[in-house]
Amino acid sequence: MSEPITRRKILVDYRIRAAKCENCGRVYFPPKSFCNVEGRRSRMRLVDHFYEKGTLVSGSVIRVHTKKFDYLQSFLSGVIHFQQDNLKVPGRITDYVPPPEEVDVTEFIDREVVPRFRKTYTDGASGLIYYSSMNFSFEDDYYPFQEYKPIKPSGSKNEGKPGIVGYGVYLPKFRIKNDGQDVLGVMERGLPFADEDTTTFAVEAGKRALIHSAIDSRYVKKCFVGSESAPYAVNPSMSTVSQVLELGEKYEDGFFSGGIDSQFACKAATDLFIDAAALVAYPTFGGEYVMVIGADNSQAAAGDPLDYTVGAGGTAFIFGKQDVIATLDCYVPYTSDTPDFYRRDGEEYPKHGGRFTGIPAYFKHVGTAMRAVLKACDLTPKDIQYVANHSPNAKFPYQVAIEAGFDREQIEPGLVVKDIGNLYSGSCPTALAAVLDIAEPDDKILMTSYGSGAGSDAYIFTVTNEIERKRERSITVKEQIENPHRQYVDYCTYRRWKER
Amino acid sequence: MKSIKKLKPLAAVVGAGRTKFGELWYKNPEELLTEAGLKAVESVEHGLMRKDIQTCYFGSFLYQVTNKLALIPGYMARELGMNIPMSNTEAACGSGGSALYNACLGIRSGVYDVALVGGFEKMTDRSGKIIDDLMFAGDPHEFDAGYTFAGLYASMMARYIHDYGDGSDGRCREALALVACKNHHHAVGNEYAQFRREFSVDDVFNSPLVADPVRMLHCSPVSDGAVALVVVSPEVAKKYTDTPIYIVGSQQATDDVSISSRESLTGIKATRLAMEKVLKETSMTMGDIQVAEVHDCFTIEEIFFLEDSGFCKKGEGWKIVYDSYNSFKGSKHIPYVNGDREMVVNAGGGLKADGHPVGATGVRQVYECFKQLRGEAGGNQVDNTLNVALCHNIGGTGGIATVHILMRELQ
Repeated sequence: MSEPITRRKILVDYRIRAAKCENCGRVYFPPKSFCNVEGRRSRMRLVDHFYEKGTLVSGSVIRVHTKKFDYLQSFLSGVIHFQQDNLKVPGRITDYVPPPEEVDVTEFIDREVVPRFRKTYTDGASGLIYYSSMNFSFEDDYYPFQEYKPIKPSGSKNEGKPGIVGYGVYLPKFRIKNDGQDVLGVMERGLPFADEDTTTFAVEAGKRALIHSAIDSRYVKKCFVGSESAPYAVNPSMSTVSQVLELGEKYEDGFFSGGIDSQFACKAATDLFIDAAALVAYPTFGGEYVMVIGADNSQAAAGDPLDYTVGAGGTAFIFGKQDVIATLDCYVPYTSDTPDFYRRDGEEYPKHGGRFTGIPAYFKHVGTAMRAVLKACDLTPKDIQYVANHSPNAKFPYQVAIEAGFDREQIEPGLVVKDIGNLYSGSCPTALAAVLDIAEPDDKILMTSYGSGAGSDAYIFTVTNEIERKRERSITVKEQIENPHRQYVDYCTYRRWKER
Repeated sequence: MKSIKKLKPLAAVVGAGRTKFGELWYKNPEELLTEAGLKAVESVEHGLMRKDIQTCYFGSFLYQVTNKLALIPGYMARELGMNIPMSNTEAACGSGGSALYNACLGIRSGVYDVALVGGFEKMTDRSGKIIDDLMFAGDPHEFDAGYTFAGLYASMMARYIHDYGDGSDGRCREALALVACKNHHHAVGNEYAQFRREFSVDDVFNSPLVADPVRMLHCSPVSDGAVALVVVSPEVAKKYTDTPIYIVGSQQATDDVSISSRESLTGIKATRLAMEKVLKETSMTMGDIQVAEVHDCFTIEEIFFLEDSGFCKKGEGWKIVYDSYNSFKGSKHIPYVNGDREMVVNAGGGLKADGHPVGATGVRQVYECFKQLRGEAGGNQVDNTLNVALCHNIGGTGGIATVHILMRELQ
């Protein structure tokens, strides 16, 4: 598909955009410039259905498919009805794997569905990747439907200490067990469905962060996406996230916002927390919020020990000064040129630098940063309620925290790696989200990331009363881990879906 | 039949020819069209010289993609050795019917007296990619949703079963299989048909799943083939044959290309509109139609036609199929019966069994009716007293529908 066609499709498909006649209320998809009934009296405006729930009018399990969908084998396609605008659109039902025997699709009719931003298909290994929100999951299947209702901030935008305004976690539906035995404490892990990648994780996490924070997306002036598995080597995930979530003031078909994709192994996102907080406090920035996302389809070569710990997913944080749920109180980074883990340009999988991985790398950097940040804030481990460490496995983050003087109760809530695996750039952010899910006002949280190559960022956050008010809008990490609709796959499926 | 008034014909068919349908490995599309065209010309009873042909109307959907060629008028000017006006109509599976519709307009305008109408398609040259190619006739958003044509019709079929088959104890689903059984039964006597063998309901239900609930034997096949007609003005028809078949109704209607934008998934609005117009044009009712060539690209489409045409009420098409098939005692053509209405549908096997070289189909339907009305269908003749036939050709999932009514004797 040519780039101009792709760009035109993006403007419609990312937000499920239709045209509505303000005179008679009729809605047209794809958008058109006049109403069939009102004719020259038409007053058309664009309307989106990205945050709406629909119902399945009918569908079919496609067994003999077009070439573009070879990667999915068989799947459910259907016609989706959005009640409010009486609009119908075609869409694919994602995260559904049909059985080999005939499916009675009439049983799916009238089931509620929710739009999901997913890959549609790609132009081969070197061509463009096409995304769309016209992929839907069953509302009663895995992900609950959430409304996006921006709320006017309670305070002045010039007041308040910078911190986290909201967050969103996305963990895929599909899991793989480590054959009944834990690998360095990791029992099971998430994996992407065949149509997911780091960009789709980032969008879904960002969407949830907007819903949780209830801020207006047009006031988000910068977006950072940290990852080491970006689908493109050149072409940022960040611009896709901004386009889908409409970050920044809209102008023509773009937005007055910026950002970058960042790379520093597993600390690509956390390194930018301080930059996000600094920006919202800096008058020249001119924006109210910054979104930072850590997301990865964590890569590992088949048979590599990493292959039994890597997970998939992402977490997004929105930083601002109004209605913060946790203030950012202290920050200490620590960096050295330690070649413990790397991936050369053009290589598919990362490699370990042998014995550097443990003591001279992870433990040295994380331990040093943890101690330094406590000292900088004149705090002791007893002043901290929760520790959220980067988690390449379940043993390292536990051991480094114990060595720094913390106990099991402070460490355990952030050790979600046991059930979701190592999310690389999303690991530490997801651990932070897991403790924010349960934290009480005035709790202090110590978060310490680690990125190979190597460095750590240690942050101390203090939870505010605002966290309680926003809690009803979050889908917690625990809820996602324990979701009864999660599905387990075998190793072959895991490799097939992960490597797309 | 008594209700039919004396009609002023729009045009007349005086000759018809076709190729066999199926995998025709050794022919290029323009050769297929030439073969059908020459047969049509040679079939004209009193003779037709090439120089008598004033214009050509062709119908084809995919030849640019399947065979990497365009400007079919140029190819056919070379094949026929003529330099007359020619045009090609593209309306997906409705290309052939649309070409005939345009030819009728040309003749009705008075500009032409003699036209060659041809429909053709060469699909098997792209067997591995034809599923993708066919989706050019769907909305791009349907393609991006993973839909195939079978999938689109399967969604319509599923909704139909949901809305009208609930409580039928499986008879609705069986009726959808019986359409295939009937049309394959009809094709046994058709020497040109792609599949000349019987299939049982169990065969249909045991055939591979294509797009649930559509199985392989609910689908028309991928085919190569061409068909041609010699269409003339009524005033000159008797110059070419003593038994012209008159076109007394020619209508067309369109609808949104996407099924999702339509009012209903359980019928084809374009068919309904075109049928209303053609019955009004001819002052006929569905009770007057004795044989009909219906667009059965998937079996649900034949049931839709029974309802959209007014042959039966909405939601009762499957019952007509089920009861007609199971109450039939003969051995040849199985008519659909609704009260005092009786109509043989797809006497030659339809798209389902005769084959579906997309652009040729609409013209093939007229070929079949031409033969039936003239009593020239050989071993596949319904009966020799036929006088009124109808051809129904749609494009895509109903983005366009063209209907023609043909008569042997004007009342």
